[in-house]
Amino acid sequence: MKKLLALLLAMVMVLGLAACGKKDETPPADDKGQTDTQTPATQEPAAAGEITLWTYPIGDWGKEDKVKAITDAFTADTGITVKVEYLAYADGDDKVNSAITAKSAPDLIMEGPERLVTNWGDKGYLVDLSDMLDDTDKSEINAAAMTACTHPNGAVYEYPLVVTAHCMAINLDAFKEAGADVYLDLENHTWTTNDFINAVEALYDHFQAPVGAVYCKGQGGDQGTRALVNNLYNGTFATPEHDRYTWDDSANIQALEQLKSMPGITFDASLEGGDEIKVFYQGILKMAFCWNIAQQLNPNQADTGAGKTANGEEIVFMGFPAQGRTPALQGGIWGFGIFDNGDQAKIDNAKTFIKWMCDSEHTVDAVKTANYFAARSAAEGTDLTGIWADNEIMNEYQVLMPYLGDYYQVTKGWAGARTEWWTMLQKVGEGADIAETVATYAKNANDAAAG
Amino acid sequence: MARQSQPTMSRALQRRENISGYLFLLPSLIFFIGFVVIPMVICIITSLTDANMHDQGMFGNFIGLSNFTRLWSDETFLEALKNTFIIVVVSVPTVCAFSLWVSSAIYKLSGPVLSAFRCIFYLPVVTGSVAVTVVWKWMYDNYTGIFNHVLKGAGLIEQNINWLGDPKYALWCIILILFTTSVGQPIVLYVSALGNVDQTLVEAAEVDGANSFQVFWKVKWAQMLPTTLYILVITTINSFQCFALIQLLTKGGAGTNTVMYHIYWTAFKLTEQAGHFGYANAMGVVLAIFIGLLSALQFKLAKEK
Repeated sequence: MKKLLALLLAMVMVLGLAACGKKDETPPADDKGQTDTQTPATQEPAAAGEITLWTYPIGDWGKEDKVKAITDAFTADTGITVKVEYLAYADGDDKVNSAITAKSAPDLIMEGPERLVTNWGDKGYLVDLSDMLDDTDKSEINAAAMTACTHPNGAVYEYPLVVTAHCMAINLDAFKEAGADVYLDLENHTWTTNDFINAVEALYDHFQAPVGAVYCKGQGGDQGTRALVNNLYNGTFATPEHDRYTWDDSANIQALEQLKSMPGITFDASLEGGDEIKVFYQGILKMAFCWNIAQQLNPNQADTGAGKTANGEEIVFMGFPAQGRTPALQGGIWGFGIFDNGDQAKIDNAKTFIKWMCDSEHTVDAVKTANYFAARSAAEGTDLTGIWADNEIMNEYQVLMPYLGDYYQVTKGWAGARTEWWTMLQKVGEGADIAETVATYAKNANDAAAG
Repeated sequence: MARQSQPTMSRALQRRENISGYLFLLPSLIFFIGFVVIPMVICIITSLTDANMHDQGMFGNFIGLSNFTRLWSDETFLEALKNTFIIVVVSVPTVCAFSLWVSSAIYKLSGPVLSAFRCIFYLPVVTGSVAVTVVWKWMYDNYTGIFNHVLKGAGLIEQNINWLGDPKYALWCIILILFTTSVGQPIVLYVSALGNVDQTLVEAAEVDGANSFQVFWKVKWAQMLPTTLYILVITTINSFQCFALIQLLTKGGAGTNTVMYHIYWTAFKLTEQAGHFGYANAMGVVLAIFIGLLSALQFKLAKEK
């Protein structure tokens, strides 16, 4: 009896193990919270199949209720159900890379060319979408966006949906209190390098604490620090051909030396872009270098009112300070790519999804969900140029769009270069020799890209 | 007859009990082999290759010891290794000494009071590391943290200290958190070990005129050596593998990069770089060698003692 019981127990344990193994094939409990098979309640799922979409938090494309509304409409139209997983920038790349390694990549991914074209497309994981683009499409899509979404081999690995210009923001009430608002051109949202230096000095004299932070804990929001440094004295980050990093030019060194010498600016290795926004939103910092229209509409994603800090102070978006008031702003381009998982039916369904979202009468909704500007002027006869006419902030923000600079994020070795950039900023902040440090880390980035 | 059949029955019984034992062992063995042994072997093999996430197959091309030779010229790795050793060298003795001191002070307390102390010290161990870290992050915050608030209020500092952003402080802040989350288990173990010390030996020593220090050092400490050895090895391994704190607090910045974090970064963030899996695994092998050597040294010293 005892032996029988022992055997029985052992079998139960082995079966339990097998059952656990089987269970792993379904999404884990944690994932279920983020995963949503979006089938409209009023309609039976059609036999058209199911596709998976992984999306980074691009405006409201990171919010389940907003995405569900638009994917439900897509399903009702096409019968194709969409299973959505929401990625965070903190660990989204890890999840995608792990999925690629495990050969379980999603059918669709929503992000920018630096990941879709330079990384996953370049490595051959994505489907070439050039057959989706005829001459009319190419004429309607923003030329810079089209170029960024196209690999040097001619393949289009990203179908662009939205674009924006990243900028910075200032606390207008604090500027007024310190008498620094005289350095701002609030009509054109621009200022010169000297204006910036004088304003920071006035703010520091008034508040006796750092008013801006060159955040460098990690890569989150690093476009802000790059744009700040590059614009101060007209430096560049990479060559126009995107074949080499050039941030070791003398203009960038001068900019870093200037920033380091300013008591009102701190190099803060405990902050990333998101942290900086939070501290700015709390009213502690008086300017934020990580900003764009999505932040302007909903600062710190706190739902406490557009263009306001937590204390109700007025936030004004600004171009980065530049000599001659003509900044080169870092662009943001986001769209869809399709992973080649070897299933043609899924690829076709994914293309239907992209066509529906990016080039149809529904594109207005897809763009508005992102809270950015359409990457094209029209979609199948629907004019997209005036879709934000009813939104004063969006309308005003368009003043920055002509300052869109080179989309250098498609330069080879981008992930490694970003790491070198913020590590370099940390060393500069620690007091290392600036010229030597900049040269070392720029060389590391170029060596890694070449290797 | 009965005498002759007895050994035969015993052998059969023994065999069947052995089979039962192995069957009970089987689930754990499957887990151990599948999730410990096989990954370890894969790690060692890939450390000798240029494996990366982009090539087909698990293993890349065999490149001999190139990854290992490259490690010794990689400044980031060497800095991470130095930081890891600082954490181990500072953390392990302080955790052991502090937990021994606390245990000595509380093990004679009455039941409920002793339990209360055990709970207090064990709480950071059972609390999720993310929750603990978030609280510490708030306290360390450069702009709104309580440490800066108190120090400024007391007039001890004029400007806020960037605890997690300044290389002068960041690693020590990490070590402090690691310390608070590491002392719980050693305290519980030491309290048990002290409770199990043979009182007749203690009394005999006292009768022979030994003072309290001599009683502790010659009698109690000797009996607690196995516990101490276990604590040393476990604390050493945990300190070497410090990852979550770095990931959540500094991301390896401000002079806090550790080998574990550098492995993660190389394997999963620098995926564009050639042979990143192989290189990261080489770091893992080096780390395992160091942990093995230190643990072996600790075992040897304890044995000699």
